[in-house]
Amino acid sequence: MRDRADLVIVGGGVVGLSLACQLARMGFCDVVVLEQGYLCFGASGRNGGGIRQQWTTEENILLMKESVRLFRRMAAETNYNIWFRQGGYLFLARDGKTASTLEANMKLQNRLGVPTRMVSPERARGIVPGLDTRGVEVCAYNPTDGVLFPFPALWGMAKVATQLGVEINTYTRVTDIQTRGKQIVKVVTDRGAIATSRVVNAAGAWSWQIARMLGVELPNKPYRHEILVCEPLKPFLDPMVSDLSDGTYFSQTMRGEICGGISDPEEKSSMETRSSFRFLHRMCRSMLRLLPRLADVKVMRQWAGYYDETPDGNPILGPVEQVDGFIQLNGFGGHGFMLAPAIGRQAAEWLLRKVDHPMFEKYDLGRFARGEVEREIFVIG
Amino acid sequence: MAKTIVCRCEDVCIEDLKLGFEQGLRELEELKRHTGLATGFCQGKCCIAHAARFLARLKGGDDMVADPPRTRPLLHPTPVYRLAGELEAEPEGDGEP
Amino acid sequence: MTRARRIDRGPGCPFERGAQVEFRFEGRTVQGYEGEPLAAALLANGVQVFGRSIKYHRPRGPSCMLGHCSGCLLRVDGVPNVRSCEHACRSGIAVERQRGWPSARTDLFRTVDWVYGRRLDHHEMFTASAAINRLAMRFVRRMSGFGDPPSADPPAAARLERFEAEVVVIGAGAAGMHAALALAGEHRKVTVFEADPRPGGRLLDGACRIGRDGGAERGWAHLAGIEEQLRDCEGVELRPGTPVLAVYQGERGHEVLASNRGETCVVDAARIVVATGAHGQIPLFENDDLPGIFSLRGLDRLLLGWGVLPAQPVLVAGGAPAVDLAVELVERGVETGLLTDLEDARIAELEKRQVTVVRGQRIIRALGAKWIDRVELGPEGSQTPELVLDCGLLAAGLADAPAYELAHHAGCRVEFHSESGYRVVGDERGRSSNAHVFTAGHCAGAPDVERAIESGTRAGMACALSLGEDPDLARRLDARCAADG
Ligand SMILES: Cc1cc2nc3c(=O)[nH]c(=O)nc-3n(C[C@H](O)[C@H](O)[C@H](O)COP(=O)(O)OP(=O)(O)OC[C@H]3O[C@@H](n4cnc5c(N)ncnc54)[C@H](O)[C@@H]3O)c2cc1C
Repeated sequence: MRDRADLVIVGGGVVGLSLACQLARMGFCDVVVLEQGYLCFGASGRNGGGIRQQWTTEENILLMKESVRLFRRMAAETNYNIWFRQGGYLFLARDGKTASTLEANMKLQNRLGVPTRMVSPERARGIVPGLDTRGVEVCAYNPTDGVLFPFPALWGMAKVATQLGVEINTYTRVTDIQTRGKQIVKVVTDRGAIATSRVVNAAGAWSWQIARMLGVELPNKPYRHEILVCEPLKPFLDPMVSDLSDGTYFSQTMRGEICGGISDPEEKSSMETRSSFRFLHRMCRSMLRLLPRLADVKVMRQWAGYYDETPDGNPILGPVEQVDGFIQLNGFGGHGFMLAPAIGRQAAEWLLRKVDHPMFEKYDLGRFARGEVEREIFVIG
Repeated sequence: MAKTIVCRCEDVCIEDLKLGFEQGLRELEELKRHTGLATGFCQGKCCIAHAARFLARLKGGDDMVADPPRTRPLLHPTPVYRLAGELEAEPEGDGEP
Repeated sequence: MTRARRIDRGPGCPFERGAQVEFRFEGRTVQGYEGEPLAAALLANGVQVFGRSIKYHRPRGPSCMLGHCSGCLLRVDGVPNVRSCEHACRSGIAVERQRGWPSARTDLFRTVDWVYGRRLDHHEMFTASAAINRLAMRFVRRMSGFGDPPSADPPAAARLERFEAEVVVIGAGAAGMHAALALAGEHRKVTVFEADPRPGGRLLDGACRIGRDGGAERGWAHLAGIEEQLRDCEGVELRPGTPVLAVYQGERGHEVLASNRGETCVVDAARIVVATGAHGQIPLFENDDLPGIFSLRGLDRLLLGWGVLPAQPVLVAGGAPAVDLAVELVERGVETGLLTDLEDARIAELEKRQVTVVRGQRIIRALGAKWIDRVELGPEGSQTPELVLDCGLLAAGLADAPAYELAHHAGCRVEFHSESGYRVVGDERGRSSNAHVFTAGHCAGAPDVERAIESGTRAGMACALSLGEDPDLARRLDARCAADG
């Protein structure tokens, strides 16, 4: 393991690796990534791989558009199949308020070049044969959203970064970060220390722990989010189906498995990753309600990961006041995977070329103290 | 040369494990994710012991593979309809008379 | 190689089957016995290829016969991926094979296996350019998936029951049943879940013997004995055909999820005894996945349990359990060969009866297009065959792998032993690292049935003791453990 680096990235999830990969591509390779487990250990290896551009704010929509563009090229660029399939996202609204939100979102999305359209329940049944639309008022459908397989996206980015000279250390846990005054001097791990003056905190749900090593309190809270996967079957479901009334989402992967989850309003913040019967039961009930033909489809496996949630549903990006060279790239909740390519790229530009991305001011940690928060309401899967 | 299949469900052969190991995958959790080993219908009942033996030999001892990959429910693939019933009786709450 | 046929199951066979029935297999009418496993019925009808594998389209067939592997998956009455070794044969069912073009029997996509003789790297294929990749994804999507989605009328949600139990015993094999008996003896209420419709676990193996020397008791006979005891036992509820799917560590304690065709239950269990036995294993050699290759227990169940002999000669390979099985097969007039490193009186006896016994050799590869017809043997470590044997059916034994999974769900510590695999860590009283979970039998590493039985009794007693103080019980348990030093 190197003993010094220009920049240390804590966290080998999709966010940390995307940044490492982009930095390396821009010629900045004196970077070490530290990951306490294997690649895919964190949320990035436990998510549903849903990639959508149906968002509510201009920034998010543009970021996701950029991500989709990058994901479309990723397999060829990294020489690693990510099995990205643009089968669309179909959002179901069961009440008037949700319906009008979808309608307003659609207008904004259309203006920004995302071809979302409102579809009637009948049309929705055409897109998803067998969909039970009783009680559904209207749906929003964007055919260019999609799903991918998360693991290889990480491996591909890691491969490119490594080939370009970045060092990625798995099974290496950061235990301390040392400072002199406001300056970072050293990152300490259970496998040795690395002298550096810059640290990126991309530790996902563990980010608050990393920040605390430097006396910085993040408002992020980890929440368990569970998910399941069914047996692989021949293609029969194109889009990701998501019911906004209870936060259910599921789609069919390239391998043919139905994969999805459901929000749980009763879940309390914790560092728990065990699976629960409660989730399995709620999810199966919801799947059966939405698509009765799933009744005889077998559930293979369930697991859990964390959503790293912030009070306003938006990430925490950029520098902090207390410590120089300590950069946040965390708080991605339930949509960090889809954001990662675009965020990684912008963060790399911002770090290296000082390109001004207003995000890094708007979403800095200081916003909470300043009281400048604007909640992103569309956080599902 | 014919293939030696370690995991029949996912068609993982011994060459896949060898190559994975050469590429630096030293843990069952990693081999599992790269090859798909133990993620098929049998959920590892037929292959985990083989894969662990393979790794133990290369890493020099049984204690090098002390932990199996995290075992995820369900033990057997089970249809959705069987898991979606209405709960008939909730256990009694703590403070009940 | 002779054709598939049925053989006499011998006296005391614990598997019941009904009258002869007819059902549909890919448009033709075939016969089987009501209640026998569908896989057994098809093998008896000479069906050899049950399906094709996911990536290389290699032929697949049953191999464990106990609901563990994926070799026997079929489409039954419009439901994909049904384990035919677990699905009971019934009149009028419609059965089809999955995958393969134009058919599972003759599948042109098998060429993938030949073209990529060493391995196919699905991670890197088709990544030359973004355009090629996008085009390839369409093709890949069509090729992927194991079976068409269900076409039968979707069933309604099954009944779901939630109840509390003092003790849940998982597995009604030798260890689990003795644990239940011990618990009942201490007036504890026990619910026993068993995946197999027929309780008994390893005692159901036709070759199972308890006690090696002259007085050896047959597993089938011992089973009949315990079943009688259990029937008279108040406080034990046995639920066969109901596999436990998961053990969750919920806020209130442990939740055991179990399910059968008719209903599913979630049990809030104060204590759990994990006695889940072991999974049959097949050693690694080239073409180890060829149809016609079974685990020792798989072949035992098929031949001795259900009386189906798909082909001859049978080669049985392995240690003591293989010898047990070979003896049993010879007894029933099956043309049998034995590959073993053991030497004992029984083997000498077999040799006298003209049974081919091969020593000091390992299986290097199995040969055959869609079903095994020969094996190549050579010394340990060598890849050059010294011997080729005709072989219509191979039972290749490696030590069974302990079924540690459910204990692992419950957070119990497990440890690895190369000879068998991961096993649940338990002390001499069956206490696991989780104070609420006990373990006994093969899943905890018991080497044979006698010790599985003893460990079951102890785990039952220790479990009862953990539920309430009882100096007398404590003394009895101490004495039992002291007996073997
Ligand atoms: C069930 C589920 C479904 C989801 N579905 C989607 C979806 O469909 N679409 C989508 O876009 N997003 C989804 N998400 C969210 C998405 O997975 C996350 O937002 C994203 O992966 C976050 O990436 P990350 O790199 O920030 O965090 P992580 O992937 O968690 O990476 C952080 C890494 O830091 C490491 N680390 C922590 N502490 C230390 C330390 N001290 N030393 C060294 N390393 C350390 C961790 O091990 C971890 O690997 C889902 C999440 C879950 C849990």
